[in-house]
Amino acid sequence: MQFARADAQAKQMRKEAGAWLRELRTQAGLSQIELASRLGFKYYTFVSQVENGFGRVPTASMEAWARALGVDPSHFAKVLLSYYEPELYRLLYEVRT
Amino acid sequence: MNVIPFPSTPIRETGQWPVVELRRVIDACSESIANGAASGWEMGKTENGDPQIYLLGPPPNYDCILCISRLGQLYVIEDGNGRVLFENNDPMLLAEQTVELLRRGKAALAARIMVAWFALRETIQEKTEAILAEPLELLTHLAPQMAALV
Repeated sequence: MQFARADAQAKQMRKEAGAWLRELRTQAGLSQIELASRLGFKYYTFVSQVENGFGRVPTASMEAWARALGVDPSHFAKVLLSYYEPELYRLLYEVRT
Repeated sequence: MNVIPFPSTPIRETGQWPVVELRRVIDACSESIANGAASGWEMGKTENGDPQIYLLGPPPNYDCILCISRLGQLYVIEDGNGRVLFENNDPMLLAEQTVELLRRGKAALAARIMVAWFALRETIQEKTEAILAEPLELLTHLAPQMAALV
């Protein structure tokens, strides 16, 4: 039961991350094709995959995504971590010693 | 006699997968789902309405392991990191490639397990050899003396 809840939560959090990324892109006035082009992708399909909540922004390219979307890379990575690895985020930023 | 080249069945620009293609792709994924390498699949669309199929990995993360997109007449397969693994306009090749990529993914996983297993075995062997070597050394020293006593 606990695992089932965790699984559903992981999916839901990734969906929320995708929605957040879509919002950032819209605010930046970019289409999926334009963002993909800024990131150097041949196709724009990966942007869609991530925004639809099925894929993740790879850690290695978080900075490039942040810069393409015109946001601070540290803040960008921190927010994505809160969606992709909520427990790690909690331990790093919310648990007080 | 003049032969008029009628165009083949028109492929819809955007929206949905033709049923035959969809079945082919899902059949290609079924082996991976059955053996647990994938947990299932979902469908979605790009901003422009181009259809996508996402093959999802095992729990707990269900990350996308393969994303199959149809951009007009072009089929694109990417992995979960956006690497393009296949691009072609032949739907028959699409199914073949999907099966091939999934098998390759499984083979890569098996290879990683083998490497880890050999590394573990080597470590265990090193440790046990050290433990076994000591009594063996003791025995080689003691055996002649014991034999002399008999």
